[in-house]
Amino acid sequence: MDYEITMPRLTDTMESGVIVRWLKSEGDYVKKNEPVVEIETEKAIQEVPAFKDGILKKILAEEGQEVDVGKPIAILEITKEVPITSPPKTQEEEISVKVEEKITPEIVEEASKIGEQIQQQTQAVKEALASPYAKKLSADFGFPLKELQEKGEIPSPAHEKDIREYLYSQYIDKDTLKDLKQYSINIDKLIKDLQGNLSKDNIYRYIKENNIYKLSDIPIFQKRLIEHLSKSATVPTFHIYEAINLKNILDKKEFTITTYILKIFADVMQNHYRTRIYYGNGKYRIYPSSNISVAIAVDEELFSPVIKNIEDKSLKNIQEQLQILREKAQDRKFDPEDFEGGTFSISNLGMFGIDMFDAIIPYNYSGIAAIGIEKNGYVNIVFSFDHRIINGKDAALFVKELKEKFDDVEYIESLK
Amino acid sequence: MLYRDALKKAIDELMEIDDTIVILGEDVGFYGGNYRVTDGLFSKYGEKRVIDTPIAENSIVGNAIGMAFGGLRPVVEIMTVNFSLLAYDQIVNQLAKIRYMSGGDICIPLTIRMPQGVAKQLAAQHSQSFERIFASIPGLKVFTASDSITAYYGLKQAILSDDPVIFLEHLLLYSQDFLFYEINDFDITKQRIVKSGENITLVSCLKILHDSLEAVKEVEKKLGITVEVIELTSLSPLNLDLVYESVKKTKRLVVVSEEPKTGSFTSEIITKVMENCFYYLDAPPLRITAEDTPTPYNRKLELFSIPTPDKIATKIINWGREHGL
Amino acid sequence: MNKSLAEKFYYYMKLGREFELRAKEEYMKGNIGGFLHLAIGEEGTHVGAILGFGNGEFFVHYRDHVYAIARGISPKLLMAELFGKITGVSKGKGGSMHFYSSKFNFYGGNAIVGAHIPHAVGLAYAKKYLGKSDGVMVAFGDGSTNSGNFYESLNLAAVYQVPLLFFCENNYYAIGTRIDRVSAFKDLYKKAKDYMIAIQIDGMDVFEVYRAVSLAKEYIQEEGKPYFIEALTYRYESHSMSDSGDYRSPRELKIAKEKDPIDNLLKKAFKESLLTKEFVEEIDRKVEIEIEEAVEFALNSKEPDLEELYKDIFCED
Ligand SMILES: Cc1ncc(C[n+]2csc(CCOP(=O)(O)OP(=O)(O)O)c2C)c(N)n1
Ligand SMILES: [Mg+2]
Repeated sequence: MDYEITMPRLTDTMESGVIVRWLKSEGDYVKKNEPVVEIETEKAIQEVPAFKDGILKKILAEEGQEVDVGKPIAILEITKEVPITSPPKTQEEEISVKVEEKITPEIVEEASKIGEQIQQQTQAVKEALASPYAKKLSADFGFPLKELQEKGEIPSPAHEKDIREYLYSQYIDKDTLKDLKQYSINIDKLIKDLQGNLSKDNIYRYIKENNIYKLSDIPIFQKRLIEHLSKSATVPTFHIYEAINLKNILDKKEFTITTYILKIFADVMQNHYRTRIYYGNGKYRIYPSSNISVAIAVDEELFSPVIKNIEDKSLKNIQEQLQILREKAQDRKFDPEDFEGGTFSISNLGMFGIDMFDAIIPYNYSGIAAIGIEKNGYVNIVFSFDHRIINGKDAALFVKELKEKFDDVEYIESLK
Repeated sequence: MLYRDALKKAIDELMEIDDTIVILGEDVGFYGGNYRVTDGLFSKYGEKRVIDTPIAENSIVGNAIGMAFGGLRPVVEIMTVNFSLLAYDQIVNQLAKIRYMSGGDICIPLTIRMPQGVAKQLAAQHSQSFERIFASIPGLKVFTASDSITAYYGLKQAILSDDPVIFLEHLLLYSQDFLFYEINDFDITKQRIVKSGENITLVSCLKILHDSLEAVKEVEKKLGITVEVIELTSLSPLNLDLVYESVKKTKRLVVVSEEPKTGSFTSEIITKVMENCFYYLDAPPLRITAEDTPTPYNRKLELFSIPTPDKIATKIINWGREHGL
Repeated sequence: MNKSLAEKFYYYMKLGREFELRAKEEYMKGNIGGFLHLAIGEEGTHVGAILGFGNGEFFVHYRDHVYAIARGISPKLLMAELFGKITGVSKGKGGSMHFYSSKFNFYGGNAIVGAHIPHAVGLAYAKKYLGKSDGVMVAFGDGSTNSGNFYESLNLAAVYQVPLLFFCENNYYAIGTRIDRVSAFKDLYKKAKDYMIAIQIDGMDVFEVYRAVSLAKEYIQEEGKPYFIEALTYRYESHSMSDSGDYRSPRELKIAKEKDPIDNLLKKAFKESLLTKEFVEEIDRKVEIEIEEAVEFALNSKEPDLEELYKDIFCED
């Protein structure tokens, strides 16, 4: 029969312990009450005995490992017979989970039940009630609270919030009031300052004159972006500018310019491994294939999904991939893999008529190419490189080869 | 810094410069203290200054009073507040009254340190909290230490005070590691804002203060508001100016304590706020306390009998929704 | 000395020891919480005293498991109490330190050192007043003999002339403080001898404990006076489940274990042919089963309902 040795609770408050040393090895015979392991708790190191005679069949927690109280640390095969040789190893056992405190959900439920009861009781009361502060406030403003409550214009019990809402609604129309809530504005003061003349125009003039700002929450995606960009800004970066010849591509109607650009970049990246590096956790991750992320903007959001293994893909395939990613962006329905594996990025503002710009490298990427508008068969590209990954010479060679490839008619014609 | 180390640091630093300070209590010396607060002091200062006493609480406090008459500055450790009841005569009839009865002639610079509260399954005789029991006795100062800062600065202030001080600690805080930083003008009698906020004032101390802080995160998320949390560091003298100021701003008061509800010290705080801030209140004050029962051994019942972070959050959220938040 | 007594001694001491070893194991597994004060090493004192006293009322401090077992309370109810279950002897509300059973005249399980001694004086007074002849015994540690409760009780028991046996189990330590560091006398019976007959015995020898206690019982019943016994004993384990300091030398522990009360009993009983090997083996098996059943019972029992929190506060609920 197998018996689990679990992490013992050695003090009143102990939650977990660290295995300091096993005093027995697998296969050893252990007598009841004989120490088998040393455990470190917040207070001290203690020896823990076996509770049964048997053979230490398997040690589940290594020395130095921290284990929660109640979790198994070894398996003992209960036997009174001292073995002569070490026993044959049997298969690992299914390990049952520790005895947990199954309390909280029940108690929380109970507590909220009690809460509900109280709520029901108080809801039954429908007299004209008001908090001391609500009363004080309505007295200050000089309106008949009780009467208004009986008419149903102010709820009961009334709180500060109800009084203010009522008061404001007397002066300011509903929509304006709703909009005002977004401003960092003291409405009490507004009413006082504008005495009587609380027309919409007047209110917004007041807001402008006093430089009152609107407070806007930052959407989660934006917060994430801010975080990311702030990190990118700490990276040592250098730039290379180059005008690239698109004449050989412009007359191709079947595939878009972006598709060609991706393909050509991918091919060239194959000859420059440093552009295929992602800098992660103090190590270089060198990817064998060319994986490029493309910036896609939808409304106010910006996504940079990655197309992978581009060098092996046909132009048609690349174009389809781009389309799929754009659709995913519209629905905001990406898979996590869509953002993994990239090492280089491309951003294009040409469609907005921008001549030349400078883009920020996605954090830990080797670089990014910022592409402007096509003019007379040329585009301006500003390359930014992460100096931690690639140095000036390697970057220059990369850009040089790119340039040559765009000029190379034979090569471009061979692309499929 | 560990809470227990902060307490030791305070005692040790003062003992170094003032040899009238002596420690006495059960297991405080040779053994190093049941919560290891006095660990190492026995070998450093010797048995004349770190005195192991028998289990005789009434005599421990009684003797300490006599030592104070004689010019010493005793620091008593009672193993837990539960046993302080055996010394309650010395504390209430003697310690709290001698200065007054002598017309101010005799000072008793004596500190009684002791932990309280529900730890884990120690059952009814070992799980009590006694804020009300001491704070309601005129003549006693009553301080609490909720983290390493109040532990260190508060205990120093207590020991240096020429008056008797009951210094309440909590069983579950000793091994906790709290942020520690230096403060120049610390005064334990002023109370302490540990987190600022706009819509609710929450007052608490000792371990349940930390549970409340955890609950507050949930409350703020669910109600979309902010909560100001005030640590009650001195129950007597009870200067609540900080609380009044805060309630006038937030208009709502929640008091959280591990004492059983009826007659608990929460009542005193709420009464004082009613007296001073009545017209500012936008909701009836909320009291979150232990149930009016002894503490049971069974863990499920034990947790049911005291406020836990989940319960504190649920109660505040329900109450907030009911009262205009 | 007779055979059936020796058999009883062995059974209860073995049951007590195995119960506590298992309790220790279950504590480490997290099935038992709070303080757990074990009396391993003290079984001779506890079993000898209970069996020697026979009928009558009994009080003890928190180190109460083996006393309760010797008293005949089912290990199932006791284990269930340690597990905090509703089927426990105190419905899961008291735990290790608070075994109560008025049916067995067992009044705790008190966790305030020395506080139960005055209760025993009071109960003995009531017995005398009501003309009931069973005596009262109160067991307590060496640590409580320095408290006011103890001295006040010695005095009052002598003033009232009540049938009360003071039973001091001197294991030399109160948590981490050795008795001679905080007590004017190392021999604790001396504290009582001006009030009543007071003796010191070897608590590691169950026969001696039994003999002394049964004689004392006869005395208090016949004379209607208090009596004092100091039994010298030793706890092998920490004060509770963990001690936070070293205060005893391994040598000291080793010497104590050489006088182990169970080994001691077996040695004597085999020599005088009071016990047979077969009997001992049979008891061991029986005890193993009983403990297994107790744990099973505890595991399978329900936790108290939440409403239990509010029950048992007043008689009229
Ligand atoms: C009045 C009181 N003071 C302090 C304590 C803390 N405490 C619990 S057990 C103990 C030691 C008691 O030793 P002893 O009476 O010798 O009994 P033992 O533990 O050795 O059986 C102490 C000081 C307490 N429970 N009650
Ligand atoms: Mg003792």
